Amino acid sequence: MLARNETIFKWSLYAAAAALCFLVQGCVLQAVSLWGVIPFLYPLVAAIPATYEGSLAGSIFALAVGVACDLLLPAPLPCFYTLVFPFVGLCGGLLAQSLLRAGFLCSLCAAAAAFLLTDGFHCLLLWSAGKAAWGTGASVMLREFCVTAVLTVPVTFLFRAVYRKTHIYD
Amino acid sequence: MKRFFKDHGIWVLLATAVISVALAAMSFFSTDASPLVDLAGIIASPFRSAYTQVAAWFNDKQNYYQDVTALEEENAALHKQIAEMEAQIRQAQDTMEENERLREKLNLPLERYELELELANITAHTVSNWTSSLTLDRGTDHGVAVDDCVISSTNDLVGIVSEVGTNWCTVLTIVDTDTSLGAQVFRTKDLGVAVGDFSLMGEERLLLDYLPAESQLLAGDLVMTSGLGGYYPSDLVIGTVAEVQRDDSGTASYAVLEPRVDFSELSQVFIIKSFDIVS
Repeated sequence: MLARNETIFKWSLYAAAAALCFLVQGCVLQAVSLWGVIPFLYPLVAAIPATYEGSLAGSIFALAVGVACDLLLPAPLPCFYTLVFPFVGLCGGLLAQSLLRAGFLCSLCAAAAAFLLTDGFHCLLLWSAGKAAWGTGASVMLREFCVTAVLTVPVTFLFRAVYRKTHIYD
Repeated sequence: MKRFFKDHGIWVLLATAVISVALAAMSFFSTDASPLVDLAGIIASPFRSAYTQVAAWFNDKQNYYQDVTALEEENAALHKQIAEMEAQIRQAQDTMEENERLREKLNLPLERYELELELANITAHTVSNWTSSLTLDRGTDHGVAVDDCVISSTNDLVGIVSEVGTNWCTVLTIVDTDTSLGAQVFRTKDLGVAVGDFSLMGEERLLLDYLPAESQLLAGDLVMTSGLGGYYPSDLVIGTVAEVQRDDSGTASYAVLEPRVDFSELSQVFIIKSFDIVS
């Protein structure tokens, strides 16, 4: 019973941290345009918790983030983020398990993979609609990543704090 | 904690997947937003409105202290523009009277559009780098429906309603990649299709495609909705021709259009809920 309560508490904290990121994105970052793009936190919210919680739990959390994004953001498919974010979580989890220890560098690499997957899927959908824009898509992806990369630091801090708070006895 | 995911992880995954598929199916089969999307929009609406109001307050304060000289210059330019427009109105009045007389002689009924408009505030601008959208504070409660046109106060086309909830709706602007509108060049009467292009979206421009081979467009030509098919009203200004280009085969030409609306400056728009041709 205690384990279940702990689980609920842990994921509630993760959800609260994600909600905070959503709020910052909606209220602050939405109005900021750097290098022709707005910083985009959502892929980070899907990727970074997975680097701490592992690929399975991370993928499920990323899937929930994807559902929330699909409820709030316009996208070419009604379930665009729900489809792509589990892979983002999986990548983040696998990266932390096999290549890099969870931390800022790992978060940065997971963020790069997240933008590659999300924006790659965008490009694929544009191509399938007969509106291929690989070059412009790659440029947007690069700029989006560069502009958002700085924000991996506070987001990693936030999710690391949640991880430490909920894994005291691990 | 790890055991929970080992034991129940697959069920959590399955449940979320089922919810996602149900969401996608509901969005696909329904013209309005699905209940969950609607609920998310309703919850987000007050936050969006509050943020917009705070941002508007700061902008107002900032604008209040802006350079007076710039405002005086703008005022002088506007006075000049008003004088020119008054002259044009006088000329147009004569033309209208003449047109009316000729129509009477030929027994032609006078046709005009009657638009049912709904004033809406913009609560959020573009939310991702891959779409160009606006969120408005009007929804099904106010009679708004998917595919309604949205125009600025100067009758310039802003976009099309793509999703609608109880008290909110999402508008994809005309530069979004989903845009495809019947268009007509005002000067030459050439017909084409105004389509959104991702490469041009960042510059807030769009394409005028499928033009006739013999089309002779000039930079600055006004492009409006054609209204063909009765899907959207005609004569809404889409934008002006910025440049004309030939396709790779050299047989067809296309134009790059610059919308007349500055999307970032918009704060209020009108939704065309219905339109009728009246005689």
